[in-house]
Amino acid sequence: MLSLGGGGAKSTKPSFVSYVTPEEIKLEKELPKKEKHPDLLPGEVVFCSANPILKHTQDDHSQRGVFGTLFCTNFRVTFISDEMSQEETDRNFKNKLYGENDIPLTCVDHIYGVYDEKRKLITGGLVKNKYPSKMVIHCKDLRVFQFCLTYTNEEDAKKIFQGIAHHCLEEKSLKCLFAFSYEGTTRPDMQRKRDTILFDSPEDWAEEMKRTKTKCRLVTENENFDLSQKLPKYFVIPSIIVDLSSHQGKGLPIWCWSHHSGCSLFKASFLPVAQDDGDFQNHLDTMINAVAHNYLYSVKTEDLTESLPTIQDIQQSYNKFKQFFLIDNATEFWLSDVKWFSSIESSGWLDIIRQCLQKAVEVVECLEKDNTNVLITEEEGTDLCCLISSLAQIMLDPYYRTLTGFQSLVQKEWVAGCHAFLDRCNHLHQKDKDCQSPVFLLFLECVWQLVQQHVPAFQFSETYLTVLSDSVHVPVFSTFLFNSGYHRESFMKVESPLAQSGPLSCPSVWDWSLQFNSKAQNFFLNPLYSEKVKQTVRKPHKHKHQRQLSLPSTAFKTPTKKGFFKDEADSLKKILRVKRISRWMGSPDSPIAATWEFYESWQRRPLDYHGLLLPCLDGPAIRLWMQRYLRWIPEVHIMGGGSVAITSKLMELLAQVQDLKRVLEQRDSSQSAKLDKRTHLQHRPVLLGSAGHNSSFPFAYSRNRSFKPIIPTGLLQRIVLTDNLASQGDDVSEFDKVAFSDPYDA
Amino acid sequence: MDMYKTLPPLHNISGECVLQRAVLVRKKLSVKEGGGWLSGTLFCTHFRVAFVPQDSQRPDDNADPVLLGDHDVALASIDKVVAVGPSRTKLVTPNGSLKFTPEELVLYCRDLRVFCFLFDRLTPDAQVMEITYTIAKTYQPLKAGTLLSFQNSALGSVEMKQFLSNRRRDPNMNWFECSADWEQELERAGATGWRVSSVNDRFEMSTSLNRFTVVPHRVLDTELKKTFAHFNDGRIPRWCWRHPRGSDLLRMASFQNNIYHEKDDIRNLELVLFGGQQMCVIVDLGEEMPSPADIQVAHTRLRTLCLGDISSSVSVPDDKWLSTLESTRWLDYIRCCLRKAAEVACLLRGGHMTVVLQELEDRDMNCVVSSLVQVMCDPHCRTVAGFQSLVQKEWITAGHKFLSRINYQRDCDKEEAPVFLLFLDCVWQLWSQYPARFQLTEDYLLALHDSVQLPLFSSFLANSQRERCRRSQHLPQSYTPVNGLRELPMGEPEEPVDPPFPPVWDWALQYSSSRRARFTQPVSQAPCIPPVLNGNLNTNLERSWHSDGLPGSVFLLSRSSFSNPSNLLPWRSGNSGSYWKSHRRAPSAEGLSGLERLIRACSLSDPSENTTTLHDPFEPILLPLLIGPCVRVWRGCYLRGALHPQAFTHPMFSCSQHPLDQLAFEVQELGEKLAQASVRHPEHQTRQQEPRRLESNLNQNANNGTFLFSSRSSQHQPPASRATTRPTNPSRAPWTASQPSRSAQRISGKHTFLFGHQQESQSVQRYIPSPSAKYPKHPSKTS
Repeated sequence: MLSLGGGGAKSTKPSFVSYVTPEEIKLEKELPKKEKHPDLLPGEVVFCSANPILKHTQDDHSQRGVFGTLFCTNFRVTFISDEMSQEETDRNFKNKLYGENDIPLTCVDHIYGVYDEKRKLITGGLVKNKYPSKMVIHCKDLRVFQFCLTYTNEEDAKKIFQGIAHHCLEEKSLKCLFAFSYEGTTRPDMQRKRDTILFDSPEDWAEEMKRTKTKCRLVTENENFDLSQKLPKYFVIPSIIVDLSSHQGKGLPIWCWSHHSGCSLFKASFLPVAQDDGDFQNHLDTMINAVAHNYLYSVKTEDLTESLPTIQDIQQSYNKFKQFFLIDNATEFWLSDVKWFSSIESSGWLDIIRQCLQKAVEVVECLEKDNTNVLITEEEGTDLCCLISSLAQIMLDPYYRTLTGFQSLVQKEWVAGCHAFLDRCNHLHQKDKDCQSPVFLLFLECVWQLVQQHVPAFQFSETYLTVLSDSVHVPVFSTFLFNSGYHRESFMKVESPLAQSGPLSCPSVWDWSLQFNSKAQNFFLNPLYSEKVKQTVRKPHKHKHQRQLSLPSTAFKTPTKKGFFKDEADSLKKILRVKRISRWMGSPDSPIAATWEFYESWQRRPLDYHGLLLPCLDGPAIRLWMQRYLRWIPEVHIMGGGSVAITSKLMELLAQVQDLKRVLEQRDSSQSAKLDKRTHLQHRPVLLGSAGHNSSFPFAYSRNRSFKPIIPTGLLQRIVLTDNLASQGDDVSEFDKVAFSDPYDA
Repeated sequence: MDMYKTLPPLHNISGECVLQRAVLVRKKLSVKEGGGWLSGTLFCTHFRVAFVPQDSQRPDDNADPVLLGDHDVALASIDKVVAVGPSRTKLVTPNGSLKFTPEELVLYCRDLRVFCFLFDRLTPDAQVMEITYTIAKTYQPLKAGTLLSFQNSALGSVEMKQFLSNRRRDPNMNWFECSADWEQELERAGATGWRVSSVNDRFEMSTSLNRFTVVPHRVLDTELKKTFAHFNDGRIPRWCWRHPRGSDLLRMASFQNNIYHEKDDIRNLELVLFGGQQMCVIVDLGEEMPSPADIQVAHTRLRTLCLGDISSSVSVPDDKWLSTLESTRWLDYIRCCLRKAAEVACLLRGGHMTVVLQELEDRDMNCVVSSLVQVMCDPHCRTVAGFQSLVQKEWITAGHKFLSRINYQRDCDKEEAPVFLLFLDCVWQLWSQYPARFQLTEDYLLALHDSVQLPLFSSFLANSQRERCRRSQHLPQSYTPVNGLRELPMGEPEEPVDPPFPPVWDWALQYSSSRRARFTQPVSQAPCIPPVLNGNLNTNLERSWHSDGLPGSVFLLSRSSFSNPSNLLPWRSGNSGSYWKSHRRAPSAEGLSGLERLIRACSLSDPSENTTTLHDPFEPILLPLLIGPCVRVWRGCYLRGALHPQAFTHPMFSCSQHPLDQLAFEVQELGEKLAQASVRHPEHQTRQQEPRRLESNLNQNANNGTFLFSSRSSQHQPPASRATTRPTNPSRAPWTASQPSRSAQRISGKHTFLFGHQQESQSVQRYIPSPSAKYPKHPSKTS
């Protein structure tokens, strides 16, 4: 025991800095030419490969890296290390489809080539002649890979570089996506068993309508997309609307959700600017009338394009924002650190999140407080409409805060609601990038804000949201591959004869067992979720989830705007004619004061995690999603600290409580049968190995050791300076040795 | 007095009389209290604004807290009174008048809390007006002399004096008020080669220093006396702490210029500076660290940013929050302190050197950095008792100018600077990054933060230990300590404490037991193993080398780099030619490279060490992450007063009612049930199992010092011999014999755990007033 405390310098652990340049390593080490192959997924084909490639583990000018083989397949770019890594095996949270060294082709964001110390963005045209010495790949899930190509022979290097650039950057057709070659074990019998409601059958919709007690009508006429290709296969509209065919279904108010008071939320796309003014006007009248007719003749319409940023703004802001986290040079990160807050702010991303939540709160206020119907509109009705309506539903309906509820919500509003995932995510790397916009990510961001403000109200954890945001870029799941229901149907129909194996079925992202084992799926659940007392039977199609009356019915207070529609229809029309869409027409009072009041009345109620939730929107409340954005940056990892410390302890305690309870029960039930209870106590599921984890668990692995000093002031660099000083001091010290002979007088 | 019969009872402290009251008042509860509104009665006395909830039971006379109820605010903490009318708000000043009847009364406190009281429509208008005026008139924060009257109204009564003089001090913590305390600390840290000198016993050598200083063994008191003159204000290099790897942390003021260095002096100075080591690193805290004035400006800005004042209606737009926060520079200063402390901690880890913190006055940043270093390195300092001892050692007795820095009387605005609050924020940053490594909680830090603004505690009411002692000497001898058993420090004629002003550590005066229970982690180990492991292990080498009296090399750590300026030690640079040649020392090459090696090794190996070897015999340093996203605003403190309705949402996650609490409680309960069940039944398997689990717990905790994590997953680990050998450590034995009572408590406290040992740990950890300390009687009964 005593020997452990040996002299300071001696007892230091062997550091992992390589003082040998890679060239030297190369010379020393005769690389064994054994071929390694990636574990291919069924249907995966290798296009090209190159060996040896040096993968930099960290770019802090230490040139440290791992040699291995780089492959490019029809699914991913993958790097297989020559060294066996044991860490890989014992990781709990491992994605089955792609590992930590795999980049799905659609996940590649940008590729940079380093030519003579200069970094250039690689675009399709630049590929032809030269290949760079180093290739830097920025991923959409914010990982950064650096591959050094100089050690392999020229031919291979050229081939792999061009191959990767071609398959990642060139525009391609949807059929080339891996999902259509993937021959994963599809289990049609299993699909129906899932809890998540997919909203691809009339029954699903009927159930949802029953659950929310709406009086609207389910439209099945579009089953074969005869009415419009832009409309969902099935949708729900106010029961009063009869004429469906005019304007190709544009401007139809599509039902989203019904409040328990009876008022509902609708979304609609803009009407095409019509030449016939009268017809246009009539149609608009009918639609608004229909919405108003739904409940108490009151309606508020809201044009989202007017008050929220456009999808291009969102894209721009996110581009700026993500740059702070795509770090291929750690020193850059230290530099950005000084102005961290203002630079984050300048991207405007957090403010966009705030605006979206704010808008959703306004919608919630109309539904909850004023009990008016709300119609939100947008050019296509499939971007911000989806965002705002789903946020409002999460705030209002506790069912959507459960894991299955949330998945059903995404199915209902985004997938069945025809959000153009393919264009927005730009899976096909189209040159025209106007359509690309991280709207769905923005939605997840907003949900994350809600989750971190109201932890016990959500059944899922932030890890779930992070994983979901990653899965968008994995080209396996049908969920995120199509632009609309029609697009999906038509594509599947065309494709299936070619596949010649029955109907083509891509798995849904909600089949999490494809990506994670059941142990890892435990991380999706929030250990702090305050479960509803024995109502939460989550059987498919049996909605036991009764919505809570979050606020007592305000029936005694006659809705102020009741019947206003009839009186003010004329003026409304005028407004509509000028601007096509109105702003808040209902409240003459300033909306801010009203919102304030709404918040206050909500606070007076006792806290109910199964009732209405409102987000806090002021400056300090909107926070950075640390887990998603900072998980790959080892400098930010708190070793053995962070919130995961608390969470893991919680999970541990929870398991302990369950165990003890079980033991007690067993003891009560079987007193005669002398069971050795110890086995039960020891059989506790080891959820987390506690102290070894860092703050970005479960994403960053213990492999990621920080090679930078924790103290960011560059002690090391300074020491290099003092080395010089020391050599200067050498001659003096000679002199000093003489001086030393004169000791201090004792 | 008749109003007590009809009203919900106000639990009076003695000598307090109610000036005004208002019925049917609702208090806005903060997020931590669960949100929403609480109705009750509002009182204003000479001492406090008290709020008594409607359904509160009549408190019995011995209930705590003594001074302030959970919903009360002391008048001295109030900074501003704002009345909110139907359509406007007004700042109520003592002389101002109100033209409207307030609907709401908002009290802004100096400690950043905000109290908001809502008057009902049924509250008589007269009452509303009166109580507003009364509060406005009585709080008077700026007038001279009000401080004294406030203190008198709080603690001036005979009963209260009697009561306070009978309070027993917390025996678990080290007060550093007598030499035995220091010796105990030396023992705890495993420091040899140092001794406690009482040369400053009568404050003749230095007025600002403590009575006792820890200096190297080999310096005699007579020699030591000569060194005082060489340092600013006589604050010589003093030992603070020893790292388990054998290096010592010292602190001192800057060198006195223009003083002739005699040969003897030089020898002594070097001895004092080097202790037993061969290398000395002087850490300059002058230039890079924020000055007190900077801190004051930053804190004022942060205050205005966080405490959106509704009367001034100036608020930062939400989308500009982050950049405004950045421009306050408060977080920069926090980062600066933490960074410096982390550097020093890494240095210390290298072993075998003295690290001397130097600051011009040695009374501000030295306190911050030296205590932060110890919080980072020493798990004992992350317990409540250890932390209190630390503050006692590095701040209170070390002469931090609390009185001037806090500026209670508003008479030294130039000196005012919340250096101590900056330190608390730094500790909070550490806590928020490594919550599991702390026994104390955010609630504790908050309580300390708030207490600073209450001018009732001896700890904060003086600029130096001398002032504190002086005051106690001038006390009228109207009472005598009843508790005669209290141990008197060696050679102390006077009481060390100042009876009328209690120390801040007497938490029962301010906080109810339920709130005090939240000061510690629910699932934690009681006082941790002190890092005595091998403090004096490898010092032999140096000792022999050093016995010739050869001075070692000195380096200056400044701006994160090492240098060796020739005038670092004034006596070595030598203005006088005769000493120039013989005493100038340049760094030897080995010296520097050694230093380089150790820092590099430390910074490189530390993070990986945590993951690869969980059982490092040394407590890994808590190195905080200091880059942008990791240094955060202490929401629980600065933002708790935000009155914006959105900020006031109740369901916000709060750590105080942490589910950990409930779960830990549940585990304990079930464990007890199980134990009971197995008692009932003949089989004893499960019972036998309990202690085994505890033991593995102990070992785990002894090894890596984690507080929160018990070793559920590592039960396979065989019980290490370490824990069992420690009590028999020969170096500890003599001390254990000489101080049986204390050591017994400490050792028993060391082995308490939540699981299964709840009752014991509580009795040791939590403060329990002595039975002789009687609560002052209710005035209606006594008079």
